[in-house]
Amino acid sequence: MIDVQHITKRYGRVTAVDDVSFRVERGEILGFLGPNGAGKTTTMRILTGYMPPSEGRAAIAGFDTFDQPIEAKRRTGYLPETPPLYPDMTVREYLDFVGRIKGVPPKQRKDRVAEVMQRVHITDMAARHCAKLSKGYRQRVGIAQALIHNPDVLILDEPTAGLDPKQIIETRELIRSLAGDHTIVLSTHILPEVSQTCQRVVIINKGRVVAVDTPQNLIARLKGAETMFVQVDAGSEDAAVALERVPGVTRVTVSEQPGVAGGYEVESDRGVDVRRELARAVVTRGWGLLELRPMRMSLEEVFLQVTTEEKPEEATRA
Amino acid sequence: MRNMLAIADKELRSYFASPMAYIVIGLFSLLFGWFFYMYLMVFVRQSEQMMAMGGGAAANVNQSMIRGVLQNAAVVILFVMPMITMRTYSEEKRSGTIELLLTSPVTDWQIILGKFFGAIGLYVAMLFVTALYMAILFVYGHPEWRPIAAGYLGLLLMGGCFISAGLFISSLTKNQIVAGTITFAVFLMLWVISWIGESSGPITREVVSYLSITEHFEDFARGIVDTKHVIYYLSFITFGLFLTAKSVDSERWRG
Ligand SMILES: Nc1ncnc2c1ncn2[C@@H]1O[C@H](COP(=O)(O)OP(=O)(O)O)[C@@H](O)[C@H]1O
Ligand SMILES: [Mg+2]
Repeated sequence: MIDVQHITKRYGRVTAVDDVSFRVERGEILGFLGPNGAGKTTTMRILTGYMPPSEGRAAIAGFDTFDQPIEAKRRTGYLPETPPLYPDMTVREYLDFVGRIKGVPPKQRKDRVAEVMQRVHITDMAARHCAKLSKGYRQRVGIAQALIHNPDVLILDEPTAGLDPKQIIETRELIRSLAGDHTIVLSTHILPEVSQTCQRVVIINKGRVVAVDTPQNLIARLKGAETMFVQVDAGSEDAAVALERVPGVTRVTVSEQPGVAGGYEVESDRGVDVRRELARAVVTRGWGLLELRPMRMSLEEVFLQVTTEEKPEEATRA
Repeated sequence: MRNMLAIADKELRSYFASPMAYIVIGLFSLLFGWFFYMYLMVFVRQSEQMMAMGGGAAANVNQSMIRGVLQNAAVVILFVMPMITMRTYSEEKRSGTIELLLTSPVTDWQIILGKFFGAIGLYVAMLFVTALYMAILFVYGHPEWRPIAAGYLGLLLMGGCFISAGLFISSLTKNQIVAGTITFAVFLMLWVISWIGESSGPITREVVSYLSITEHFEDFARGIVDTKHVIYYLSFITFGLFLTAKSVDSERWRG
């Protein structure tokens, strides 16, 4: 449904997005996780046809967002970081206007407006001016306008940012309920958010994709293990077995770093320092210990920057 | 076409949703009314004098009064127009609604023309109020209507030039006050330039008076529709809209 191939976006000398590729299948919810300034908004703006990429291409339902923008935009609903509301229109007038420019046929427009208002629970606010809406309602009107033309694809840029805990829960439920009918990409800098709403996560940092996986796997990779890099001048079979026997070690894999012989990646339980034991295991067998250092994966770097915990009152229910 | 109308409609409604439209129309009608009254008084006195001097031909209301009124109206328009155009693009950029427009299945030109005709709509409403003053003349006298219609065509075209230039300037910044100020300065220059022309050599005068938007209005005010001026105005409008399209597109590339 969404196909992003090697997109790069430069603002002058700043490279905001660097060779990003991913695909989203029909009906899937994809989370776009990364700290502030990672390039989430920029990527989404390229997907929605707001700006062209400096390099690469993106397609929505097979339509290139740059070569066939009208076709691609017809199939895309977009909630920008700040909901694009006109303060002096009422909610109903606003949704009617958005319906008009998104190509909802005149005869269906009234019904569509009523439908989306019901869907996001803002029917009570229909006659209120957008300027007078609370943050939570503004966000909902923003989602309603993204839905108005029943697009195949929904792009939601930080849909829960700035909401209170109750609104966050409601918004996440709403987004989950939209999956299936729509293919959804949402961005966030909150880790639990993706685990609760998304089936797949793209982690992005400094404009580059760091990992693509299911939320479960990512969290396992984060919580499960601390990884050491060990290099030994011995036969590989023996060394691997010996390292695995060290208490606290959960897994040993042969390092795939090119040009390194006798390198191992040793995973251990978090909080257990196995370095001393690893060194002893190697030396007592009479092998040479060439290198022993903790590996900091770039994935972890990202996790150190994204919010990995919600404030207690936020996460209690969802 | 449908999309363009949707945007024009939205623009027009947003003018009237804020006090701006009423301020602009009110201010314009007030100033127009004042000029109208002044010229009417002068005209009445002239006519009385001529009658007292023993009949003679009745003074021509078209030449001696309406022309002056329209010329002054042109200057007033120059002053109020920046208030109409300054927010067209700037405000959408500032508030982020430009993201809605540019990610909707509409073309840049539909947006630009929508905004252009929305502003024209408000401008026509302004002119309509002044037409009510003109109607008074028809109640009490017999002015020729053709020169008046020519004058209004001129006002419409000249206003179109201001709007298209204002739209372009508004597309350059997200600060509507900056947009308004620059627009005002540019309009003022396009007007003042005709004075420079008067005090310089023949060639400069030619060039300068060609550039001055208000110079081209002279004939219209006199009641003459010269295709030369119509073409000038239409080219000016097209050029302004074209620059706006370029500005919107280059903004897209820069991000
Ligand atoms: N219009 C712009 N002009 C220049 N630099 C920009 C612009 N928008 C974003 N950037 C830069 O690009 C990088 C990515 O920004 P963004 O896509 O907004 O990240 P995120 O949404 O993940 O916070 C940041 O370093 C930001 O400063
Ligand atoms: Mg962002």
